Amino acid sequence: MPASDVKEDCLRLPQNLTVRAITIVQQEMLQFLDKTASATIELDDDCQVDISFIQLMEAARIHADTAGKHIALARPASGSTLDVLKRSGFLEGMSAEDLKFWLHQGGIQ
Amino acid sequence: MSFPDPIAVFRTEAAELLELIEAGLLDLNVNLGDKDQVDAVFRGLHTLKGSGAMFGFDALAAFTHHCETAFDRVRKGEVPATRELVTAVLEAKDHMRALVDTPNGDHEATGEALLANLRAAVDGANSPGAASLAKATPGRNHFKIRFSLPQNAMANGTNPLPLLDELRELGECEIVANRSAIPSLELLAPTDLHVSWQVELVTTQPRSAIDDVFIFVMDEMQLDVVTVEPPLTAGTPAKTEAPIAEALPAPAAQAVAAAPTAPAPAPTAPALVDAKQKKTSENVRVPAEKLDELMDRVGELVIAQSRLSQLAGGSGDLQLRAVSEDVERLSGELRDTMMVLRMVPVTQLFGRFRRLVHDLARETGKTIELLTEGETTEVDKSVIERLADPLVHLVRNSCDHGLETPEERRAAGKPEAGHILLTARQQAGEVIITIKDDGRGINKERVRAKAESSGLIASNANLTDQELYQLIFQPGFSTAQTVTNLSGRGVGMDVVKRTIDALRGTINVTSHVGKGSEISLAIPLTLAIIDGLLVRVGDGRYVIPLSAVEECLELPIEEDMRSRGRSFISLRDSLVPFLRLRDLFRTGTKPDPFQKVVVISTGSERVGLVVDQIIGDHQTVIKGMSKLHHDVATFSGATILGDGDVALILDVGHLVAEGQQQEAHLRAAG
Repeated sequence: MPASDVKEDCLRLPQNLTVRAITIVQQEMLQFLDKTASATIELDDDCQVDISFIQLMEAARIHADTAGKHIALARPASGSTLDVLKRSGFLEGMSAEDLKFWLHQGGIQ
Repeated sequence: MSFPDPIAVFRTEAAELLELIEAGLLDLNVNLGDKDQVDAVFRGLHTLKGSGAMFGFDALAAFTHHCETAFDRVRKGEVPATRELVTAVLEAKDHMRALVDTPNGDHEATGEALLANLRAAVDGANSPGAASLAKATPGRNHFKIRFSLPQNAMANGTNPLPLLDELRELGECEIVANRSAIPSLELLAPTDLHVSWQVELVTTQPRSAIDDVFIFVMDEMQLDVVTVEPPLTAGTPAKTEAPIAEALPAPAAQAVAAAPTAPAPAPTAPALVDAKQKKTSENVRVPAEKLDELMDRVGELVIAQSRLSQLAGGSGDLQLRAVSEDVERLSGELRDTMMVLRMVPVTQLFGRFRRLVHDLARETGKTIELLTEGETTEVDKSVIERLADPLVHLVRNSCDHGLETPEERRAAGKPEAGHILLTARQQAGEVIITIKDDGRGINKERVRAKAESSGLIASNANLTDQELYQLIFQPGFSTAQTVTNLSGRGVGMDVVKRTIDALRGTINVTSHVGKGSEISLAIPLTLAIIDGLLVRVGDGRYVIPLSAVEECLELPIEEDMRSRGRSFISLRDSLVPFLRLRDLFRTGTKPDPFQKVVVISTGSERVGLVVDQIIGDHQTVIKGMSKLHHDVATFSGATILGDGDVALILDVGHLVAEGQQQEAHLRAAG
């Protein structure tokens, strides 16, 4: 049974987005991206996040870009996702594209 | 194919970390100024905390954090290491083990009490004098740092975020993640770390403070730190200064130059990966039960090979014989390799006694030093596991009853500290483990009096010293005048004897009043497969462990007749008692006209076993005796022969003892 909740073009990820569960999340995200041209990723407000998830999302962006697809977060990063972005140094030196993806800055995608 | 349960893997690693922490603490207790041990303990605690959090052992992580903080303060010179602190963390370590074993148990009250002890120990250590030990580095230093953690850091429980937080705590810090090595999603190994970092740090701390942040991953990571001269006196990291890449050595600078988000691999990553892969290929962790399973299979193969050899031997087919010989050689080599895989050094076993002696010294108020020798001696893992309990009893006994109090030792002209020496060595297919103390020794008169009053021996019975000492292994036997919570109840030494007997081992005791005692345990190196000598007695076949066989002689029938009633043979000017196995086993058969004597020994004692025929050497896969036969002392096990018959394995220790007893009776009879 998948850990994530798939709606049309929208993948709601499970609460545990740490290295303990990241392999399953990768598989589900790959399946999801293969099926859709424009993917929206939805995160729980109280999800658990670590660097493995940030890495995974960056990898998903590269995958979508290479395949000519579009990927976006349903809502700007907040809570623990934003906290990990800050603490891990991802926010520093973000490009305009990065800011748009993670924080929806510079216009909603 | 099944993959190991990650929680079980964590528990194994946690157990190893806890052992390292304990060893570090015990070393530190001997030399409180040993900074390497402080670092080692801190590293262990830090890793345990990180791994615990990673695998969902949150209570463990939270509890360990307090101990880690305490040791961090010691590391930074804010508080000195004291014996009280070491003891508090040792006790806390036991609690951590409980939190690993039963994470959902009710540990809160114990944890709080231990933390209160820890706080008291830290507060006690934090005297004004101690505070002055804290390092103070004048001025502010500006560092440009670039680092990559090991690729498997996250999978191994290292969370980079706390490390980054620690860097921030050092001063004014700007951290930038380098994402250039992150591959596309389909290529991503999601539990690997593909991110590296560039950091600018302005701090009053010295360069060593940066190393301290990474102390537990230092060996496996890449860390470049460049000091920007002259040191800044104040202010935030200067963003207008040369970028980090310019300040780093050439290869690192190239790596940083390629830092933008383009998905190109980081130039330094392959080197890191290669080094790591090289490292991991050197060792493979295998669950012990898999080794047992493999051993069983090898055992079955040896039995099958034995059947094949027998069939081939009785056949005229030369090709079959050649194949059979090949299979015999290969299964022998496989068996030898398997044996080596199962061997582990006794270091693991001896290591646990350091803590035991430390605790016993505190409980008894004695000063006790534990010395060990021969820790690299290797023994079959199942032997090691089963030796642990008997050795605990013996070491406890030495600490509690053997060694005197400091006052008694001073009065006896001995150094105040008592010594216990644990040694291990291999000798002719056996491992000899000795526990020696320099205490008061065993009082033979008291042993005799106790044995007589308990009815174990007749009044004025003529016993050798060894026979007398062996009485201490009788159930309920204790000469201790006081019963403590450590020993003295007479429970334990009989358990030691039973366990050593079950291991087909022997116990030898020597003691000198006022000088100390020595107990030697001689245990077979392995309990799985042995080289045996297959013999026939009457219609039955038996196996004698080859490691105990000294030589084989012919016993002409006329000499057999002559020696009736004496049962001694003359062997190079010494008389060796022998046992007629045909009589012992009551076979009811006539002796073979060309009987043989197989001389076996345990150490210095020898006995001959008269058999009808020596069939030859035999790889013997040891099978346990059934419950119905567990008290048959003459046999230590059974094995299946090539033709499917069962042969019993002779218990050498028991037979030698019986032979010696027979000799003693004959000598006594004159």
